Amino acid sequence: MSDTLARLTEVFHDVFDDDDIVLTRDTTAADIEAWDSLMHVTLMLRVEGAFKVRFNAGDVTGLKNVGQLVDLITARTKG
Amino acid sequence: MSALVERLIADVAARHPRNLRGVQEARELDPARFDATAERYLGWLQQARGEGWLERSVDAFAQFSGEVIYEQARYEAAGRYLHTSFAEAHDEVYSQTHVMDDYLWGVYLTNFLWSHHMDIMRFFQDRFLAPLPNGAHLVEIAPGHGGWGVWALHARPDATLEGYDISPSSIAIASSIAKAAGVDARATYTLRNALDLAAMPEASADALICSFLVEHLEQPELLFAVIGRILKPGGTAFITGALTAAQIDHIYEFRRESELVLLAEAHGLRVRETLSVAPRRILPKAKLLPRSMAMAVTRRAHDDW
Repeated sequence: MSDTLARLTEVFHDVFDDDDIVLTRDTTAADIEAWDSLMHVTLMLRVEGAFKVRFNAGDVTGLKNVGQLVDLITARTKG
Repeated sequence: MSALVERLIADVAARHPRNLRGVQEARELDPARFDATAERYLGWLQQARGEGWLERSVDAFAQFSGEVIYEQARYEAAGRYLHTSFAEAHDEVYSQTHVMDDYLWGVYLTNFLWSHHMDIMRFFQDRFLAPLPNGAHLVEIAPGHGGWGVWALHARPDATLEGYDISPSSIAIASSIAKAAGVDARATYTLRNALDLAAMPEASADALICSFLVEHLEQPELLFAVIGRILKPGGTAFITGALTAAQIDHIYEFRRESELVLLAEAHGLRVRETLSVAPRRILPKAKLLPRSMAMAVTRRAHDDW
């Protein structure tokens, strides 16, 4: 597991209050019952804080799975 | 559940699962009313957009809904809307044709896919459309996607409608929905700034629709002046607005329902009925409650109310 995915898993555990969540790049909102559009924004704000990055609305609404989120974080932290 | 509604929900579940819960909640409030409204709106959408109509429209809805929640979170943190001038909103949204098209199709679906907008739809039908006089001539200011005015013409086969919008995308989309609904012979859409008071005919409308425009304006009092001018004495209007509800192009921050009521009263409009509604669920730990407000108003016909 990449470092980003491992750190992201910690954020998911915290936001969804569920330590049983196991993330892969293919994980989607369909795999986590509480991951709806409101929790998605809460999650993105926490990710921004954890990784010291800044997203825009278009970035976060278009994400289809955890892999795309990992790639977005990577792109932002490189920038 | 009709085939179109089933297709819609299946598509949201498959491709935009984060939005599924909200859609299900909107339907669960009143399944029969939701299905009837959705069936009509989706049928028009299918005819207007052609191939790929459902997927492209659901994408636009998911994008729009996600951005609204994101902007609300930013608003919570900043304590102010992102933009405060029309020029900023124009540069980011209104002048970008592809952005504007998706935006309008996304908003079109919120008329029934957002539970609190279903509440507004019910108010629109029961408290505004039902009491209209026979043969009413309606003016719609900033029809956007056209869904409100076209619904009015569908519900009232004796009515006619003139729509004015500053956006070419809006004129094209509203016209396409009117054609799909088979009411285009009773609807005209004109590219014009409806806030230009001098260009608008005085006392020409029996009724008026203006949905979710006021929060997009730097000077909302100008809109109410236009409404007071266009309506015949005794004519009625359906006006909606957003309060402490962020969007990238919301520039005027209304905080209290009374602000809209006072604006109406200041321009000769008697506020007959109001409805203030909020989403069933909002951001965790939110300080602000985003609301949508609808008013049914009548232009006063007496010197002293």
